Amino acid sequence: MRFILTFVTLCFLLVAPAQAQEKTFNAETFALANGMQVVVIPNHRAPIVTHMVWYRTGAIDEPPGQSGIAHFVEHLMFKGTNNFPPGAFSKRVSAMGGDDNAFTSQDYTAYFESVAVSRLADVMAMEAERMTGLLFPPDEVLSERKVVIEERRQRTENDPRAYFYEQMRSALFVNHPYGNPVVGWFQELDSLNRANVKHFYETHYAPNNAILIVSGDITAKKLKPLADKIYGVIPQRAVPERTWTDVPPLLAEGRLVLHHPSVRQPVVSRLYRVPSYGMNKDESLALQVLESILDGGAATRLYKTLVVEQKMASNVSLSYHAGALSWGTVNVSMTPSDDVAPEDLEWAYDSVLRVLVRDGVTDDEVRAAKNRMKDQAIFARDSVMGPAMIFGQALLSGETIDDIEFWPNNIEKVTAQQIQDVARKYLNPDDYGRMPYVTGYLLPPQPETEALAE
Amino acid sequence: MKNTHRAVLYAFVMLVFVTGCKDSVAKDRFLDIQEVKSKSGITAWLVEDHSLPIIAIRFAFRGAGAAGDPPDKQGLAQLASNTMDEGAADIDSQTFQKTLTDNSITLSFGSGRDNFSGTLRTLTRTKDTAFNLLQLALTKPRFDAEAVGRMKASNITRLRSSLTNPQWIAARIMNDVAFAGHPYAQNSGGTLTSLPTITPEDLRHFATTRLGRDNLVVAVTGDIDAKELSTMIDVVFGALPEKSSVADVADISIQGGGQTVFFEKDIPQTIIKIMQPGIGRDNPDYHTYQAMNFILGGSGFGSRLMEEVREKRGLSYGIYSGLYLLDHLKALSISTSTENKSAGDVLGLTRQEIEKIMKEPVSDTELTDAKSYLIGSMPLSLTSSGKISGLMLSLQLDRLPIDYLDTVDQKISAVTVSKVQNIAQKYLQPDNLTTVLVGKPEGTTPTKTVDTLPNVE
Repeated sequence: MRFILTFVTLCFLLVAPAQAQEKTFNAETFALANGMQVVVIPNHRAPIVTHMVWYRTGAIDEPPGQSGIAHFVEHLMFKGTNNFPPGAFSKRVSAMGGDDNAFTSQDYTAYFESVAVSRLADVMAMEAERMTGLLFPPDEVLSERKVVIEERRQRTENDPRAYFYEQMRSALFVNHPYGNPVVGWFQELDSLNRANVKHFYETHYAPNNAILIVSGDITAKKLKPLADKIYGVIPQRAVPERTWTDVPPLLAEGRLVLHHPSVRQPVVSRLYRVPSYGMNKDESLALQVLESILDGGAATRLYKTLVVEQKMASNVSLSYHAGALSWGTVNVSMTPSDDVAPEDLEWAYDSVLRVLVRDGVTDDEVRAAKNRMKDQAIFARDSVMGPAMIFGQALLSGETIDDIEFWPNNIEKVTAQQIQDVARKYLNPDDYGRMPYVTGYLLPPQPETEALAE
Repeated sequence: MKNTHRAVLYAFVMLVFVTGCKDSVAKDRFLDIQEVKSKSGITAWLVEDHSLPIIAIRFAFRGAGAAGDPPDKQGLAQLASNTMDEGAADIDSQTFQKTLTDNSITLSFGSGRDNFSGTLRTLTRTKDTAFNLLQLALTKPRFDAEAVGRMKASNITRLRSSLTNPQWIAARIMNDVAFAGHPYAQNSGGTLTSLPTITPEDLRHFATTRLGRDNLVVAVTGDIDAKELSTMIDVVFGALPEKSSVADVADISIQGGGQTVFFEKDIPQTIIKIMQPGIGRDNPDYHTYQAMNFILGGSGFGSRLMEEVREKRGLSYGIYSGLYLLDHLKALSISTSTENKSAGDVLGLTRQEIEKIMKEPVSDTELTDAKSYLIGSMPLSLTSSGKISGLMLSLQLDRLPIDYLDTVDQKISAVTVSKVQNIAQKYLQPDNLTTVLVGKPEGTTPTKTVDTLPNVE
């Protein structure tokens, strides 16, 4: 089904109440005898629950030459266990009046069902069965591989923007698994077969390598006996330590240009490799506030300067993805105004950063950004699945439950000086060598005469 | 809640408070919707929920959407939706936007083909600021030349960006073919030549004529009670003109039946879009039709189309059918994409499944499962304030009664296998499909080739 989270869109950023030391979600947690962690996020608004099982495995764990295998296993999780023949899983959930799906990212793979709370035990039993009992019928593996290839055609091959983004990541994450697309490289998808998917599944799928998150009309007291009975009895299995190869020092500037026949509107992009929350908590918190100061709405720095005042761009966005096991990223995308050359927009953007690096941020900007972020935490509670996503992504990226519950207090502690420091360290356009980034121009085809002249 | 005496007084003065329940002993309602009327006569639907300090409002102006855009000003309603939150009264664009973000207020407008709509989401503590800004945006929008120019530029670049997207191209062609001769065929996002001609004066005219109290629909969820809401409605919407003036739009049925329209694009996968005439929620056959669609392709995983095309043959990442319902057009739509060389196979399988559901009764299990989903999944739409308001707004826009959700389960339960087959035979038209293909499809012969995109340049 089954979709891919290329990067962590929801982030764990959305957390927090106004008062200090007050928990945001009041989540409860416990562990089962076999090491499976359980998190319960109570929300009694409607008699439903979202039930999620998150596995600590994703594209980062793929063996060389087998890109896309984590995502392929996710597809095959719907393709048959003893009690649920291929395709039966989703039909059964649907017949309960529920919705189900799954997704794979660089760092994790997750499966979920949203159902009436009266059907919770049923979906738990189904999810438990496919944690260890997947059958991999050979003909299903073959036909599902075609589906994955069609998925890649639909998402990537048919869309030059997606294709270009994939190349940008690949250039930024040299020698690092984050340089591989989650869906896999086209030429490697055909090499995925029953033996290697089965091996990947048996290596990584185990209760002690999973987190159960249930959000909605439920409490830990009610869930515990069910979880003990259904998941707690699955035997532990040794899982390998998660390691990955890292990016070597890169001295040459990364600059990608693609002239594509179906592009009419140029786009200027910048992708930075920066610390994730798990790598450096303090710097990550400062980067989060900086993100909101730069792109927290139409009245914040980038839009105000580049779109409203200078008219260099018609759109600009900057987002920081802090929730990653390894490196985080800052992703910038800008649409140049008519008659503005991409180089000129890039220069104007870098100038905004130069001012930031030189002068830092104002107290007003910091105050306003912190207030916005803390308010977002209240809005985050206005959902059943949303909080489950926040916990899953954060916990699977190495955060603790307290990091999530007390995120507003941690944001409150960030200072203007810390923000200027991370800007200087990671976004400084004149200090390229320290923390590499990649710049991309996605452009319309070159006029033929021009091409000939060159 | 807080003050009973005042509540009683206010109720006496200005409130008509209907719960939709016949008896005051609470029957178990699916959703406790209250109807709230203001002093000036505006009605809103309300679901009170004080569990979070959040108020979520959805509103719409019937008939004020893009179908009313003049042909040479396509994109007018869209541009209005982009610029109404760009400053109002003596508050300039940047100050307006800064007040919104500094107070964590979400205020946005949107335009569909039929309606012009808006969303306001605020924390309880900033509600007065939020209501005031919405009131000003609706009644005193500035439409400053700077903001209008900036939003025109943004729309033009977005339109050019869309040209990269084959799904968008296929939808654009389908609109042109299936809604031929009707305002629905226009490009609601504007064209590269229409957008530059739209002036602040056009937008002012739009705002003062298309938005009135007579075509307003309001739905509210969250931390507000009926008494306060009734006052709020008049504060926010009371200054709108009593009467709006919107275009008279004719009904239309799907055009281009039996045609396969082709647009060549050098991509590895062909985009397939299919439409045929359908029925709306006001039709007594609606729930049977809904069950039939669910079995055919509406359910995604488990549907017949998904089984045949994806699960058995791996020809596509997905294939879906759905009801495409506008005020003046009811259709069934099917969309998918497949490797170019399989395009003919997928079209054949689609037609085969349409014919099969007409010829043979669906199985008892299929229908039981469809009914369980359609009834059982209803609470899944109640998980956030915004979703609840959106649900109430759509009921009102479709002029359904306030207790509609309480009666849906009975109507769906009454669907039978033979009714599904009758409805399939009555409405499905496999010889009359309107098909659009974008890509380099093989195994099929288009009846018409398009090489310029309609209503783009």
